Amino acid sequence: MSPAINFELRRRTFIAGTAVAAVTVGMSRKAAAQTAAPVGAESTTVFLTVNGEGRELTVDNRTTLLDALREHLQLTGTKKGCDHGQCGACTCTVNGTRVNSCLSLAVMHDGDEVETIEGIGAPDAMDPMQTAFVENDGFQCGYCTPGQIQSARAVLDEIRAGIPSHVTDDLTAEITITDAEIRERMSGNICRCGAYANILAAITQVAEDQA
Amino acid sequence: MYAFDFEKPTTVAEAVAALADDEAQPLSGGQTLIPTLKQRLAMPSKLVSLTGIAEMQGVCTNDAGQLCIGGATPHAVVAAEAASKYPALSALASNIGDPAVRNRGTIGGSVANNDPAACYPSAVLASGATVVTNNREIAADDYFQGLFSTALEEGEIITEVRFPVPQAANYQKFVQPASRFALVGVFVAKFADGVRVAVTGASNDGVFRWTEAEKALSANFSPDALNGLSVSADGMIGDLHGTPEYRAHLIAVMTKRAVAAAS
Amino acid sequence: MKDHFTMDSPQPRLLDETKQGVIGTPMDRPDGPRKVSGTADYTADHAPDGMAHGVLVRATIARGRITGMDRDTVLGIDGVIDVITDPRMIRNPAQGMAGSAPVQTGDEVHYHGQPIALVVAETFEAARDAAQRLTVHYHAEAAAVSPETTPDTETDDPVTAGDFDSSWSAAEVQIDRAYTTPSQAAAAMEPHAAIADWQGDHVTLRSALQMVRFNKAELADTLGIDPSKVRILAPFVGGGFGSKLGLGPEAAAAAIAAQKLGRPVRVVMTRQTVFDTVLRRSETAQRVRLGATKDGRITAISHDDRVSNIDGEGFAEPVSQASQFLYGADGLSFTQTVARIAATPAGSVRAPGEAVGMLAFEAAIDELADALGMDPLELRLKNLPEKHPIDGRPYSARRLADCLTEGAARFGWADRWQAGTRREGDWLIGIGMASAARSNMLVKSSARVRLTGDQAIVETDMTDIGTGTYAILAQITAEMLGLPAANVTVRLGDSDLPGASGSGGSFGANSAGSAVFLAARKLRAEIAERLGCDAEGLTLQNGQARGDNREAALTELVSEEILAEATIQKGKTAKSHFSSGFGAHFAEVAVNEWTGEIRVRRMLGVMSMGRILNEKTARSQALGGMIWGIGAALTEEMQSDPRDGHIVTRDLANYHVPAHADVPGDMQVVFLEERDDWANPIQTKGIGELGISGAGAAVINAISHATSKRAYDYPVLPDRMVALLEG
Repeated sequence: MSPAINFELRRRTFIAGTAVAAVTVGMSRKAAAQTAAPVGAESTTVFLTVNGEGRELTVDNRTTLLDALREHLQLTGTKKGCDHGQCGACTCTVNGTRVNSCLSLAVMHDGDEVETIEGIGAPDAMDPMQTAFVENDGFQCGYCTPGQIQSARAVLDEIRAGIPSHVTDDLTAEITITDAEIRERMSGNICRCGAYANILAAITQVAEDQA
Repeated sequence: MYAFDFEKPTTVAEAVAALADDEAQPLSGGQTLIPTLKQRLAMPSKLVSLTGIAEMQGVCTNDAGQLCIGGATPHAVVAAEAASKYPALSALASNIGDPAVRNRGTIGGSVANNDPAACYPSAVLASGATVVTNNREIAADDYFQGLFSTALEEGEIITEVRFPVPQAANYQKFVQPASRFALVGVFVAKFADGVRVAVTGASNDGVFRWTEAEKALSANFSPDALNGLSVSADGMIGDLHGTPEYRAHLIAVMTKRAVAAAS
Repeated sequence: MKDHFTMDSPQPRLLDETKQGVIGTPMDRPDGPRKVSGTADYTADHAPDGMAHGVLVRATIARGRITGMDRDTVLGIDGVIDVITDPRMIRNPAQGMAGSAPVQTGDEVHYHGQPIALVVAETFEAARDAAQRLTVHYHAEAAAVSPETTPDTETDDPVTAGDFDSSWSAAEVQIDRAYTTPSQAAAAMEPHAAIADWQGDHVTLRSALQMVRFNKAELADTLGIDPSKVRILAPFVGGGFGSKLGLGPEAAAAAIAAQKLGRPVRVVMTRQTVFDTVLRRSETAQRVRLGATKDGRITAISHDDRVSNIDGEGFAEPVSQASQFLYGADGLSFTQTVARIAATPAGSVRAPGEAVGMLAFEAAIDELADALGMDPLELRLKNLPEKHPIDGRPYSARRLADCLTEGAARFGWADRWQAGTRREGDWLIGIGMASAARSNMLVKSSARVRLTGDQAIVETDMTDIGTGTYAILAQITAEMLGLPAANVTVRLGDSDLPGASGSGGSFGANSAGSAVFLAARKLRAEIAERLGCDAEGLTLQNGQARGDNREAALTELVSEEILAEATIQKGKTAKSHFSSGFGAHFAEVAVNEWTGEIRVRRMLGVMSMGRILNEKTARSQALGGMIWGIGAALTEEMQSDPRDGHIVTRDLANYHVPAHADVPGDMQVVFLEERDDWANPIQTKGIGELGISGAGAAVINAISHATSKRAYDYPVLPDRMVALLEG
């Protein structure tokens, strides 16, 4: 649910569909020329602090932060739902703020601190938000859940930090935690099973416990 | 995604040097560029990250009272830091995409890309802001040149955007709910010397000023001043999410709302 | 111990007699802690040693033949291993419960987006790059891609009862309306994925699949090998909604590639490929005709539809399914036409039939009430038939009238105001309601329960796609064996375990749950014998067995493992009685008169769906379905290019599934107490699909109430709403 496909792109995809056709209508001149150009995977070594632990890894420059976590560090709790920043399943925390890890390249994060769902809690040692999700059935299939929990925790932090949202009435006053604030701030994380009401209940429970 | 080199300079000068290479492309928050690369609709030989340049970060006020926003400042930072200085701009920033996007996406990236449905171009144009690059200052009226087109030259970087702060302003956005882009967004800004109205999301030519409304509102800054004014559907975007007629209709509705909220 | 049970007669309500007290409770999911900590293992989370990455290459023409591929242009790319084409690759996912290979096309292309090759590489990045670079040459052929214009249509004989034509022409009040709904996508959050790994001539396939027993047969048939050489694993599935019923092209391609390369291969569809290739819900064109007497007795019902599918697929969206049994009439007639098009194939998406058929049918009922000057609730209550209107079977259990009246009372229906008269600022406010119905089924299922002391293990190849299978099978077992649910371990999604129905058609809990119940019942009989009492007199609670004044701990009675396996299949009750879940949906909406934006402000669903096994997971299922109703009514629409049929709305920025902000904070679900004795031995009915069936119609009817305008083309997007308001 993020800006990903602009109008020009839409039109091009409308014409070309998948970019593998011999019919090169709609492919840009550069793209067509590149088909014959030499290729090679440029790679970079980056240092990340992941869940408090320093990790050095050499990645293809094209590797997203999401794929670096999943394929290189075997931290598969962070999920790939769309790979285009439209679903929120890949949400994780970088330097204290939530990001769509599919919309970042690993090479952009040299020196950064990353927290994934594995760093938040384990089945036998759950964080309060994880416990609240279980108690309120804030998921069904569970695939979007790590991202939902990352966002849920961030929502409360962002409100406390005074970062306004679309539904914040007074931009300069202290922001109150309302259903509307939570729902708006959670709207980047899609749950196709439709656990929204239960997710709202889980976040509210944690907010009340922390109040 | 095609293969590319990657550089992350720490000064504007280094970035400009890195961008001198053929087919090098600046990368800011990446919230539009990375999906574009995945779809192979861009093919840079090298990406030059701008997020490590300290001088391009942050929000401040200059001697002329303008709000100066570093080109690599994320939307969430603008939302928080502009709240007391330019509330309408803060409100706009707080409704771009979703929170995760707002933590990464930057004003410079948005203004450089000039997506016809992006929010920031309307604020820049309605505010009569100045787009500052590594080698010049460009007035908003000269900067936007149509769909995804701007006055930027190859390798030129937006280092800062300077906003004159209006007496009153408001941004109203009708969201395309799936992408959270503007189906139509209208930014109204009232200055001592007149009112400026900029419309995004609606036109095939990208952001534009609704001069008829500006004239009426400059004479009488109230929603009633817009009665009887309408925008032609000719040249409006028609797509899966709304017809040209609907977008034209929304421009009038959103402009009225913005004026009502600002006055 | 084995039990083979056929559902020929109602069974005692044993779960109402047992004493553990866990059945029906809102127990937390036992799999919850793994899901919230990222340790539940979905298919793509696995990466066996030596694994290669595969990316599907898809056709860019609607119909024709592949004449060549420039393999050499991509084989030189660093890390690229192979470009694989194979006559065994499949055109599209299998339909639900097919149990055989889908259409295998060789070098033919049948639709735009069809998988035609697999590029395999050492890394995902290299495979993606090469798949996009691969140049394919085609001999393209003309193809009809639009259901409106294709010359190739098939019309079934009508389903009828009485004489519709004479009832219709004699009706004092008539409603005759045409409706359209667009194609819709299941859009499960987990993209379709598979990992194949061969050991000799045996293949193990991890894949996101809903029906392991059938999928095993589908893969064996696809590969041309014996099913005994196939194992399928799907312990966690990230949502299905019908889209993972059948073996998919990614799984076939992974298995073929892994066999050829002698190493494991993983194939994960991109989101765009999911939209293009996974079975969509067909668009529909519908015509509803309703005739009634002036005093509101419905005398004529007809619901005709046109849906589409590609050649070779037997599935046709059963649009009028619920219309055939909700209300009675003197004459009823239902005719379906299938348009054959060269486009993404259609198949089951959550509540096939009801999900879109009831949007139109229940809106027409509402319009009939308007025409009669009757309250729509009263019209429905007045026309509930005694028995199934087409085949005369009695209903097994039907509390539809109770759902309607209870819902009306809870929602405040009596305070309903005249249509189009309430506003709050720019917002027009309305309320609407609709009946809910979703037919109920029992599908052959087997399960095994093992008991050692006070610890039990349940084993079946049943899946949990988010529905709560892990929870309810633990609860059934715990209740039957008198154990805390924490003492029950549930193993699912492995084709080496006894074969169950799989998850689909809302029949999973009924079917697999009954098999588990029967296996546990066998164990109860053995425990009773060991204790020395009648099975009927046995009480099991908290690990203690009591009966005939004897008492012993299970740890004493069952010191070594005992095991029972049971199979259930449908029998005479399926013919003698008609079983369906019923309910009533209520919605309140606000329509912005200037922008046409529609906000759902509150929703209530009152449902009777047999015994509830877990109040918490059942409620979640119902809520999820209702949100799908919001999507169908207001946001979800697939569009395709009229020239080549390729899907244009092929990502989540163009196909809008409801997000958090689209869903009202006030969503209520009420379950009415019910037992369906004719359905199965645990007296349950399906839950997963009733929530959607009729929910969208309640929203649609609320829009009409708010605005006094009726929409016939769904979803009611803002621009359509403004056009209606201005019209």
